[in-house]
Amino acid sequence: MPPDLRVLGLGHCLPPQIVSNEELAAALGEPAADIAARTGIAERHRAADGEGPSDLALRAARDALAAARTTVDELGLIVFATATPDVTFPGAACYLQEKLGAPTVGALDVRAQTAGFLCALDLASSFAAVPAPRGGRDARYARMLIAAGEVHAGGLDATPRGRDMTPRFGDGAAAAVVGQADSGPRLVAVRWTTEGELADRFWCEYPASYQTPVRITAADIAAGKHFPRGDLAALAPIARDRLGAAAREVLDAAGWRPSDVDLLVIDYVDPAVAGDAGEALGVARERTVVPTREFGHVMAGGIAIALARRLVALHAGARALLVAAGPGFTYGAAALEA
Amino acid sequence: MAVLRSHILGIGTAVPDRVVTNDDLSRVMDTSDDWIQQRTGIRERRHVAADCGASDLGKIAAEEALRSAGLGVSDIDLIVFATLSPDIDWPASACLLASKLGARRVPAFDVKNQCSGFIYSLACADAAIRAGRARHALVVGGEIHSTGLDLTTRGREVAVIFGDGAGAVVLGPSPEPERGILSTHLHADGKYAEKLWLEAAASRRRPRIAPEDLDGPDPSAFPRMQGKFVFRHAVTRFPEVIREALAYNDLDLSQLDVLIPHQANLRINQMVAMGLELDESKVVNNIERYGNTTAASIPLALSEAIADGRVSAGKLVCLAAFGAGFTWASALVRW
Repeated sequence: MPPDLRVLGLGHCLPPQIVSNEELAAALGEPAADIAARTGIAERHRAADGEGPSDLALRAARDALAAARTTVDELGLIVFATATPDVTFPGAACYLQEKLGAPTVGALDVRAQTAGFLCALDLASSFAAVPAPRGGRDARYARMLIAAGEVHAGGLDATPRGRDMTPRFGDGAAAAVVGQADSGPRLVAVRWTTEGELADRFWCEYPASYQTPVRITAADIAAGKHFPRGDLAALAPIARDRLGAAAREVLDAAGWRPSDVDLLVIDYVDPAVAGDAGEALGVARERTVVPTREFGHVMAGGIAIALARRLVALHAGARALLVAAGPGFTYGAAALEA
Repeated sequence: MAVLRSHILGIGTAVPDRVVTNDDLSRVMDTSDDWIQQRTGIRERRHVAADCGASDLGKIAAEEALRSAGLGVSDIDLIVFATLSPDIDWPASACLLASKLGARRVPAFDVKNQCSGFIYSLACADAAIRAGRARHALVVGGEIHSTGLDLTTRGREVAVIFGDGAGAVVLGPSPEPERGILSTHLHADGKYAEKLWLEAAASRRRPRIAPEDLDGPDPSAFPRMQGKFVFRHAVTRFPEVIREALAYNDLDLSQLDVLIPHQANLRINQMVAMGLELDESKVVNNIERYGNTTAASIPLALSEAIADGRVSAGKLVCLAAFGAGFTWASALVRW
């Protein structure tokens, strides 16, 4: 059954502070050119001290609401996809709701890593389809806000030990007003999935509730267990394969050929892997955007930020394919028709 | 294919073997059995004895839920895991659970919504099934609180309340159109986010966690709560969201057979029952044995009510929760 969901407005926020490879070189003990060559990333944005993902999403949400000509009072649900919430609990959705001055409707955080925006889209399309007790659709979910974003800045290792991971991550957020409507980009298909057996290949382990007697100690912090770790070289072929598989599955579901795609947004922590997967798919390079190459890996926010930056340039009927893979190992794709 | 309604087809629970009584706690902090019982109704709770994550307890509960539904893990096409104490920072506990269950290539995500997390997760899975995006979903609530509590006198206000546990349900197409989840109702008010919260690790800070957060007079790596403030809001929002669910379905309180409230504090639940004029026999409480298990409390209480016959075919059952966020929610089920 096709999801019945339109994107009525989309906004994004990349915080103004940009960190270049030159700025990282001294702390990480690696020349800037080597960082660039190894990671494929030239720069990333950093949120200011005191800013969490809800602050970035607030700016994105205001733009999304304005574009959708929707007021906060019309929102029936707020979904926030993030792996790096402002505080441990409550989630970023509660903070965003308060900052927006939204009514006391449902607000929840979903954790699906780089597939977070896809998970939120999928969820919103399900809520939009819920029937009302006396027939028709449940009017409570006529308008929903979905946000996706991360603030990695405070969780990265600014020493040579962090050389592999630290340059790869960036901060940012996007927000979309979605709902049932007759116009606006339509969600044609969305599919995503998880292969949990790969969870410990790319992860941030601590704080780890599974550690007794306490989930994090000063020794764990000294050992850097609270920083992202992973074996990206070993994951590369898997990621390339899954990005392609996810894209093809959604192309099939949408009934599109790769040559029908006007915009391919394909996201993975390693932009070379994402770029290769896009090329293998057969979408022209000039139609392909790799978010990580532009602003580092923003996990849940990457594909949505990249789409928001290009949405206005899309003509009516243009076809956008969003593909993402990341920790979990979780990956998927969505097809949108402008 | 979309279905008219989803229903709870199976249920399972898991708690650690290690029982921690109020007297046990009074040996490590300045508290007493009387003090704890008077304020919360809690007599004992469970704490894990060795390394064990929310997904480990979740696996036991999920396998029991699958057995009771007569389904296998390959029948599951969605996993929603409610927890505020995930095994690791990321990825989500749902990913770890999927792996431990042997579920291959299934969408799996965590919902972080504190005490109302289970009902929020149920609402997500219900919507997915009704929209035809899933046929059978596993909805799990699980917490390992004990590794994140300040078990000293400094932390006693909060530490005595929480316990470890997990519960799971299998949600699937309702066998009869008039039975199943009638509706769900979700609310939040982020104004009060910091009345009951756990700050560190906090991505809004640089660094997000440091050794100072683990110690000092008011360490931010442990949950903090303004108990009386939370209590006051709980006893208002609980009845509100229960009445909302009934009104939405043109039903009234006299038709409600069973209320399964989140188990945060026995005194809250007693006051809610009194305010709604619900006979105590209709309200399921087991907090005296498990403490507040957050996302796990509702399936833990529901499974007891199914086992002892209070919840049976045809009964009108309301699940309701209030907690950190603030978030609150209800689900009305025709069993």
